[in-house]
Amino acid sequence: MPLDTSTTYPLTRLRLDGRRWNELRLLQAQISTNPASSGSSYLSMGNTAIMCSVHGPAEGRRGEGSGQAGSAGAMVDVEVNIAGFASVDRKRRAGGSGGQSSRIATTLRSAFQSHLHTYLYPHSTISIHVHVLSADGSLLAAAINACTLALVDAGIPMPGLMCGCTAGMSGSASTPRDPRNEELDPLLDLSLPEEQELPSLTVGTTTAVPVGENHMDEEEGEMKVSVLNMDSRLHVTYIETMLAVGMDGCKQIRELLEGVIKSSR
Amino acid sequence: MKSLRRDFSSNPQAANVSSKVFVRSTKSGKVQKIVRELYLRQDIPCSSKLCTICPSIAPADANGNIAPFVLSDRPAGTKAFPRGHYLVPDTNALLNGMDLFEHTGAFYDVVILQTVLEELRNQSLPLYNRLLALIKTDEKRFYLFFNEFRLETHIRREPDESINDRNDRAVRMVASWYGEHLRASSTKAKKEKAVPAIVVITDDKDNLRKAANEGVTALSLSDYVAGLEDSEKLLDMISEAREARDAKGSARGQMFYPEYYSMSKLTTELRAGTLHQGVYNVSPYNYLEGSVNVAAFDKPLLILGRDNSNRAIAGDVVVIEVLPQDQWKSPSTKIMDEEAVTRNDNPETEETEAVVTEKERKTLQEEVKKAHGKNFEGKPQPTAKVVGVIKRSWRQYVGHVDSNSTGAQAASGRRQQTIFVLPMDKRVPKIRVRTRQAGDLLGQRILVTIDSWSRDSRYPSGHFIRSLGELETKGAETEALLLEHDVQYKPFAKSILDCLPVEGHDWKVPASKEDKGWKGRRDLRDLLICSIDPPGCQDIDDALHARPLPNGNFEVGVHIADVSHFVKPNNPMDLEASVRGTTVYLVDKRIDMLPSLLGTDLCSLKPYVERYAFSVLWEVTPDAEIVSSDFTKSVIRSRDAFSYEQAQLRVDDSSQNDELTQSMRNLLKFSKILRQKRMDAGALNLASPEVRIETDNDEVGDPLADVKTKAMLETNSLVEEFMLLANITVASKIYDSYSQTALLRRHATPPPQNFEDLINQLSKKRNMELDVSSSRALADSLDRCVDPKNPFFNTLVRILATRCMTSAEYFCAGAHAEPEFRHYGLASPIYTHFTSPIRRYADLLVHRQLASAIGYEGEDGRAVIEGTSTRSKLEDICRNINYRHRNAQFAGRASIEYYVGQALKKRGENLATKGGDTGTDEEGYVMRVFENGVVVFVPRFGIEGVVRLEDFVLPGESGVRSIAERRELAVHRTTDFDNEEYTLRVQEKGHSEKERSVLVELFQKVQVNVNSVKEEGRGAGKRRVRILITKA
Repeated sequence: MPLDTSTTYPLTRLRLDGRRWNELRLLQAQISTNPASSGSSYLSMGNTAIMCSVHGPAEGRRGEGSGQAGSAGAMVDVEVNIAGFASVDRKRRAGGSGGQSSRIATTLRSAFQSHLHTYLYPHSTISIHVHVLSADGSLLAAAINACTLALVDAGIPMPGLMCGCTAGMSGSASTPRDPRNEELDPLLDLSLPEEQELPSLTVGTTTAVPVGENHMDEEEGEMKVSVLNMDSRLHVTYIETMLAVGMDGCKQIRELLEGVIKSSR
Repeated sequence: MKSLRRDFSSNPQAANVSSKVFVRSTKSGKVQKIVRELYLRQDIPCSSKLCTICPSIAPADANGNIAPFVLSDRPAGTKAFPRGHYLVPDTNALLNGMDLFEHTGAFYDVVILQTVLEELRNQSLPLYNRLLALIKTDEKRFYLFFNEFRLETHIRREPDESINDRNDRAVRMVASWYGEHLRASSTKAKKEKAVPAIVVITDDKDNLRKAANEGVTALSLSDYVAGLEDSEKLLDMISEAREARDAKGSARGQMFYPEYYSMSKLTTELRAGTLHQGVYNVSPYNYLEGSVNVAAFDKPLLILGRDNSNRAIAGDVVVIEVLPQDQWKSPSTKIMDEEAVTRNDNPETEETEAVVTEKERKTLQEEVKKAHGKNFEGKPQPTAKVVGVIKRSWRQYVGHVDSNSTGAQAASGRRQQTIFVLPMDKRVPKIRVRTRQAGDLLGQRILVTIDSWSRDSRYPSGHFIRSLGELETKGAETEALLLEHDVQYKPFAKSILDCLPVEGHDWKVPASKEDKGWKGRRDLRDLLICSIDPPGCQDIDDALHARPLPNGNFEVGVHIADVSHFVKPNNPMDLEASVRGTTVYLVDKRIDMLPSLLGTDLCSLKPYVERYAFSVLWEVTPDAEIVSSDFTKSVIRSRDAFSYEQAQLRVDDSSQNDELTQSMRNLLKFSKILRQKRMDAGALNLASPEVRIETDNDEVGDPLADVKTKAMLETNSLVEEFMLLANITVASKIYDSYSQTALLRRHATPPPQNFEDLINQLSKKRNMELDVSSSRALADSLDRCVDPKNPFFNTLVRILATRCMTSAEYFCAGAHAEPEFRHYGLASPIYTHFTSPIRRYADLLVHRQLASAIGYEGEDGRAVIEGTSTRSKLEDICRNINYRHRNAQFAGRASIEYYVGQALKKRGENLATKGGDTGTDEEGYVMRVFENGVVVFVPRFGIEGVVRLEDFVLPGESGVRSIAERRELAVHRTTDFDNEEYTLRVQEKGHSEKERSVLVELFQKVQVNVNSVKEEGRGAGKRRVRILITKA
């Protein structure tokens, strides 16, 4: 049995894979990987690898086009497929209609529906296909980043890059903080073993690119939280710290994604 | 289409990413391949205070703290390493010598590698936990170095390299890196010679050879220890397991025990149901007879003899195979003591012996004859043999050296010799230990551990850990007792004491009601509350009151110390308390669960001062019908603290008519009604053979005067009834709020077959019936078991009936269906423990659950429940507190037994000066009859003891004889044993006349002579309470 975070982290301040608390895993990405689609990307965060392609905006499908949402702006349609070979045990069930993939799809759909400037494309659909090739934690965060890259590649207008990142909390996080002990052990960008062991949350932020007159004044726009998702139980007193750490991670990821976009020109 | 290959060239970070791939198999037999990333780095410090580089690169954690450096700048050295050394042990060194590493005399400045820690965890979880504890203590200076993550020390497994070789290479790698690193970093500041040596400790010969080639200093554990001072003592502490392994190579030929089945065979057959798994228990009267309870059968399966028990030791989880029916036997009717049967085994020369010695074989043979012989009514029971061991529950055992096993030259020479250690626990076989200090250890209480038990060895082999002190000294015996029952007795650590309120003894309930401490608390200071406890009680958990209400009903309140206010969930104090589980009461010592500042002062509901409390209030009608109940945190001021006697006197004194006394009288009245109701519902009135010992008596008097049987006053049951009521009320409240996680206590209905023997005995001997169909029926039939000539008979039956029952246990509500919640003994559908949070952890948890159930928010506005919100965590806690609770009871009983023995001894000595060691004459009752002895219970001292053949005083024989003389008698005596009638006739060989014999039968009252004697033997022995039957 390998060691676990809860016993060794307090002793060495090193995580299971040798990272410190505030380090991201190695993030690598490319865009325009699939010329057949409007926009596409490939992104890996550690051993989590995701391929994403965007089709559209295209004219809405029959029957849906006349719907209310369609008339106001484009509909965002997201499909998530976790490959059978993505995790340690091969899943026989193909199609990816599992609970996890549909939950990620729902979160992505609502996040990008309100994030993108959909009003520019009435009566149309933007469909995003996410393929998880290898799953090693922080799936939702990696999917957000991959989608952002693919959407940028497709040239769909948005106020800024949406970046996702996870943050976890080591130690006994299901009990209230001891007010006399201010020490907290938040961890950034969790891998799968950490995710299984510790409570964690996924945060997605948007930093609007300043436009108009003052776009030279400020280097950094204001950071907004667009996605916040947590599946584990955690005492409320820890949330603030975790959120802060997660947002800090998003900031780092944004720089990395910007680098990817700029270098691909 | 673009290539999606990872491009590492552009990213500077990527060069440091490596990966670890390993394969594991899951419980269900699936094989999984796991790939993990590794981020190699250069900022992992060496943690030596000598180093000048690492402090500058050592990273801070999330709170900005940098871990302090551990390894000393002046490490201790030996003759071989005058400049001092840092030790780098590999896994097998830790496996063989964990006791050495824990020793306080040596082994400082140790670098534990990640590789080693991980390997150790795979090999032995207990050792891994001990190592972690060592790393956490500061004084031993153990540093956990994550070598796999440091760029310089990370190595990859070569294609044809075994995992062991790779790990050994990693250890050598670290050693050479440490050496270079320290030389490089400290030359600037200090001279070259100040750099300590890096010593790899390994027991792997191949590793030692390779280390020599690579220029790494490496020593085997024993070579290293030999260079230390005190080496003889330390050498004994190296585990025997390795030597046993070495010896295997040289093929000793004879195997005493059959081989265990392979693991895969065990698992398949377990699943198929042809083999069974269970915990191995050993009969307390016969060390050769074990039993295993398995799910598939109602009754436990018998395991007879060493061959069948096949190296299992009491407590091990074993796999057994049922033997064919022609080998079924009935349980033994003989008392067998390992010490007596195998007293002459020689620890050194065992190659020539068979596993079952001739003597043992003979005793077993008789058993078989019995089983098949005459009108045997009890059917032979299924027997089984052990074919595999799933989990060993070996621990450290307290014992003493068998003086017969040391050579004649024991006292002299330092030659290493093999000796037997007799564990205190009779169910554990003697342990073979190799030592050089046999002479010193004679007559000492010592701690040993079992390392291995191989097929070619008749007894398990182990090694010596430490000596507790001389036999029969108070300190040694008390410590032995605590160790044997796994009681945590070390003083509270500083981190725990830091959790106490800073005001210390000056802490007070805040005067102003605006204070946050008052939030959510009711002011009950004007109620006339008092506490009633045993005399001299310091940790007062509970207090009571009753007052009339205007509507003619009464308000009754039970107030419990509000411990959960002071012990917040998951701080070090809470964690320690959850490990300790309960306060342990010994005769002359109390091992507290909580630091005494809380237990005996701040929490304790002392009289005349204001204290926080958790109150349960009922409105009851004058007929003790409960109208409503209410729970609240409160502040109370107890008016007085009574002992049971004082309270009784006050209630009985008709001249006292103040309000407090009136309220106590009301309480007493209600308690009687409540008790009657409970009895009507079928609650059992059980008896346990307990005596109380008052130690404050002066030395001059009769030492036995301190031993008192517990008196039951009305006020005892007053307190008891209200505590039961409070517990039951709270139990249903928390179960309402937390249907899955409420912490409750249940007492399972005992299966009727448990009572079979007792029913049989009663109907045979007394023509009485025991109806066990329900607790009510049992209570009634117990009431009918009265012998007018023998007033104690009823109590005796109750004691025996209690032993047939299962023990009560804590559980969390989700673990059982609601009908299973029943508390059999109390005849209550639901029950928990709420009333003693100072001394029981379960009560503390229940307090937290109740506080949250009533919406109490705590002084800072946050709920306090979360402590154990998940069921699995709670189940772990239940398991631990059940275990601790049981152990605490055993420890308490053992302490009393020891004290009684000592009191008898002292009395014996007093009398001896006046001439003649005659012991004390008392009344005893026969509890069990065996073929070669009986078990007698002596109520005066609350002890039961085995009376062997030689201890019967036949008519016309002088009672006063020395032990040696008595031992001679045994061989001249024969017995006539009737298993159906439960009688035993003892007579001298050749004298079959009735006048010269003694006949004893079950339940009979006998006159006994109780005495404390020293077992004879060369020099050292141990003391036991000897009971002589003088008149039947």
